[in-house]
Amino acid sequence: MKELDNLVQAGRVHRTVYTDENIFSVEQQKVFSETWVYLAHASEIKEPNSFVARKMGQRSVIVTRDKENKIHALLNRCTHRGATVCREKKGDKTPFFTCPYHGWTFRNTGECAAIPHQDAYGEDLDKQQFNLKKVPFVSEYRGFIFATLNPEKGKKGIKEHLKSAASRIDEWIDHNGGDHRAIRISGAQQYTVHANWKCLYDNAGDGYHPEFSHQSLLKMTQERYGSGMDLDYFSGGIDSTPMYSQSLGNGHSFLDQRPCMYENSAFERQRPQPGREAIVEQLTKEVGEQKAKAYFEMATGAGMNLNIFPNLLFIGNQMQVITPLSVGLSDMTWYSTTVDNVPTVVNTLRIRTQEDFTAFGEPDDTANFEACFKGMQEREIDWIDISRHLGRAEDSTDYSGVVTSVISSDIHMRTYYEEWKKLMQSNDASRLG
Amino acid sequence: MVDTKNSAGHQDSTYLNEAYYDQLMHLNEDWQLDGPVPAINQPSLADKLACEALVFAEARLADDLRLEQWLDCYSDKSIYWIPANYPAGDPRQEITLEFHDKRRLEDRVARIRTGVAYSMLPVIRTRHVLGNIEYWQGETNEVRARASFIIDALFNEKHRILSGWIGYSFVKNDGDWKISVKQINLIDADCLQENNTFFL
Repeated sequence: MKELDNLVQAGRVHRTVYTDENIFSVEQQKVFSETWVYLAHASEIKEPNSFVARKMGQRSVIVTRDKENKIHALLNRCTHRGATVCREKKGDKTPFFTCPYHGWTFRNTGECAAIPHQDAYGEDLDKQQFNLKKVPFVSEYRGFIFATLNPEKGKKGIKEHLKSAASRIDEWIDHNGGDHRAIRISGAQQYTVHANWKCLYDNAGDGYHPEFSHQSLLKMTQERYGSGMDLDYFSGGIDSTPMYSQSLGNGHSFLDQRPCMYENSAFERQRPQPGREAIVEQLTKEVGEQKAKAYFEMATGAGMNLNIFPNLLFIGNQMQVITPLSVGLSDMTWYSTTVDNVPTVVNTLRIRTQEDFTAFGEPDDTANFEACFKGMQEREIDWIDISRHLGRAEDSTDYSGVVTSVISSDIHMRTYYEEWKKLMQSNDASRLG
Repeated sequence: MVDTKNSAGHQDSTYLNEAYYDQLMHLNEDWQLDGPVPAINQPSLADKLACEALVFAEARLADDLRLEQWLDCYSDKSIYWIPANYPAGDPRQEITLEFHDKRRLEDRVARIRTGVAYSMLPVIRTRHVLGNIEYWQGETNEVRARASFIIDALFNEKHRILSGWIGYSFVKNDGDWKISVKQINLIDADCLQENNTFFL
């Protein structure tokens, strides 16, 4: 796709990158298979023989843990006639999947285990040819399970691909004295967005929009709780704050709110969660003031917007997973997380906090993503601008290639479009045979 | 609207403690009625009529966007709860679509009232239809109910249908019936949601 050099330029992207059906179709092959795609978290398939049904781009995938604790990503398509083999969203105690149509049965490793009345296919049938197709490379980093069809990336493993993002994931898990505790998924909030999936990714590292897109949240908070609260540090001269934005390479980016959000106490800035007072009282009594305060910070958002290209965003204490459903429709799922080995009320408070942004912030963003996508249909106006702070002289690059810029920079978009273009222009996409 | 403020200028909300969560889980179970409500568990006709009037008024006020009066339908110690699972689980352990005490419910109304809540521009028009309402006696001065609902929501000139069932707990304070708990069970709670920033 040589024309992509024209469509994705240094400071602007052509609208058709978002709206063109053909480009969307190529993305399924070249982005959502040729790079590592996030699938699930290990805590969702904790026990041997458990599974969750997920999407890898538009592909339906069953993510299984076999009895040896090995994780597989199986294409949820019967190798016989194509029917959906597994029709549940999740389950456990499932060593086998049986296709409801003709009873073909597969192990959770993908191996074809039984074909009813097999003799009709001849005596020397090799059942292995009917194994469920597998995404060949599955790799886990601290519980986060990714998969790719690309042998080159696959053999190197996920950590190589994450680069500097790996240590940011560590910081995110451990934030506020998490002390290498494991996190687990505690449910999800799922939404459709009537826009191309990249409209969501565009916003993931955008430090420019909160003052405007989140006016309803900021204004309500100011009216009811006064100043100094959550996100109000995004108003005014944000580029002179110590917050910053980074390109981490391979399309990943990072926006760090911690220098402002955690200047004193993020918990004190947080709009009051339901049940806050009762939990503060109970926990302070149980573990003492100092320890309780550390727990309260753990229950508050991490202050990190960490974006793993193409589909995993860490926001607050949640993970947002973006799945393209069609060129103009996306699945935006927010996974809630809790922390192992803390008093249960810490997690209750953590969950109540995670319900805040999805009710008070994200809906206005979504309305704006959808408005952008609507505007992108206008044929007379070609370009989407991504030039903010382009070529800023003060931007610094460290030894590992991480570029640091100011918080309102469009560097997050430029860096992922560079990766996107590279993937889209790569040679023929990997096939599963 | 706000009467109790602490020294930091926030109003306090102290009632949602472990015992209250336990009570929510008890209600969650009690709303799963077996057969018809036995005669012995029926509330008095006067109480039932009062609660029914409250249920219909609450739905109407939400639809008419008379949100301050809508808030008045809720007791000072109320919970508004939209589970993200079907059936609902324990909100202490799993995230919900929305879970608000009275204070955060007031925040939700205040957000819409800022005039810059872009998810509500243009404003989402809704019509609730409630049916199959069953009432039964709860604890002293408490009535419980469950109802089926359909909401037609109009946004950006498109209609959308939401449906499910609602569990209610009503309490009588100083002679007035108020909603103490409203649990809204969308039949697609664990599926993809659209813009639900109105009140269900």
